[in-house]
Amino acid sequence: MPTVTIHPTGEVVYLEPGETVLSGLYKAGFAYTVGCRRGGCAVCKVDCRSGKFDYNHPVADTVITDAERHDGTCLSCRAVPRTDVTIELRGEHVRLVSTFLHQINDMARQRAEAYAAASSPAGTTHKE
Amino acid sequence: MGVMRLGYAHVRVTDMAEAKEHYANTMGLYETHAEGNKVYYKAWDEWDHHSVVLEEGGVGLVKFGWKVENSSDIDDIEAKATAFGVTVERMSKGENPEIGDGIRFTTPSDHVFEVYHEATCVGTEVGTHNPDAFPRHLVGVGVPALDHSLITAEDPGLMDRFLTAVFDFYPTERVQTSLDSDADIIATWMTSNNQIHQLAVLAGPNSKLHHFAFRLGDWVEVGRAADLFSMDDVPIDIGPTRHGITRGQTVYFFDPSGNRNEVFAGGYLAYRDRPMSVWTPEALGKGVFYHARELNDAFTSVLT
Repeated sequence: MPTVTIHPTGEVVYLEPGETVLSGLYKAGFAYTVGCRRGGCAVCKVDCRSGKFDYNHPVADTVITDAERHDGTCLSCRAVPRTDVTIELRGEHVRLVSTFLHQINDMARQRAEAYAAASSPAGTTHKE
Repeated sequence: MGVMRLGYAHVRVTDMAEAKEHYANTMGLYETHAEGNKVYYKAWDEWDHHSVVLEEGGVGLVKFGWKVENSSDIDDIEAKATAFGVTVERMSKGENPEIGDGIRFTTPSDHVFEVYHEATCVGTEVGTHNPDAFPRHLVGVGVPALDHSLITAEDPGLMDRFLTAVFDFYPTERVQTSLDSDADIIATWMTSNNQIHQLAVLAGPNSKLHHFAFRLGDWVEVGRAADLFSMDDVPIDIGPTRHGITRGQTVYFFDPSGNRNEVFAGGYLAYRDRPMSVWTPEALGKGVFYHARELNDAFTSVLT
């Protein structure tokens, strides 16, 4: 279960399998500047500082250039993390707009971590 | 008599299967043709072969087709566009399926326009002989027709002059920096007939699409469309609300590739002799979104 860490505040957001970065952040009560949410407008680009992600749809070359496919640019509405990722927004910070949703996301994350710990052999940590 | 209407909008989509689901099953368009990486659609109350063309690969506008009343209008527009300084090429019948001879040019705003007179008439879904009010088995929103588009241009004032000179359009409403006679034009809403706008142009980057719109009848239909967008997980940009400009009732939303669509109802009748409405920056929010009364960031930044 990948997590998204938001640099530089260190907030950690827990994602459902297959969920996009944008969807995960919004479901965890955060907001930032986004546009069409369907990969067309390029407004929701962030930088991926570590970790790997895939795009779950074809992304137009006019939206993500060849160079941007290798420089850490992350079109957050289409990016599904393959590993834990750390992202940094461009020119803004996420805004916590719902503490309620944030608490629910935290609970989901703690539950997933407890489950992962319980199902791992003793003395090792395991994360799917 | 010149341009009658925006005949077709040809746009790129990143994923054809998802696009077809949206335009056929959510919007309720009828597929009339498919070849290669393109699919052609018409709405139920349109008679020409197609009004929307989807092309797989990328996102944004490929071109608009404008239908003129007489074949001689094509020559007339060619002469006027050439005089304006635009390079015009001829297009042949069949370059676009079921569309006749015409011309093609790139506007000063870097958008591709085609002008044609003939299109294969396939008829509306209710026919012409004692027609019923609407088809019984509409799908989804069931839009009756393509309505208008909004594009962005670095110089909307230049596009206002271009559309006036070449298409004999006239502005029904404008956003200007002030009421002074030398004010800059920030946006212009233009038409050739009684439709409140066929094409609007907003200050922004050249060659970009802001949205293309489908017609609806009234508030109730606009509200029902918004319900369907929630059922089908269509991202709503804003609405249902009203535009101060044109007085139209609206929902802005995005297709599965991020192209903005609109459903648009109402809007008053335009006349050439009706004094133009002018909006100035302090009321721009109310002009665009009459209830929220402020522009959302997406209105000027989200383009394809």
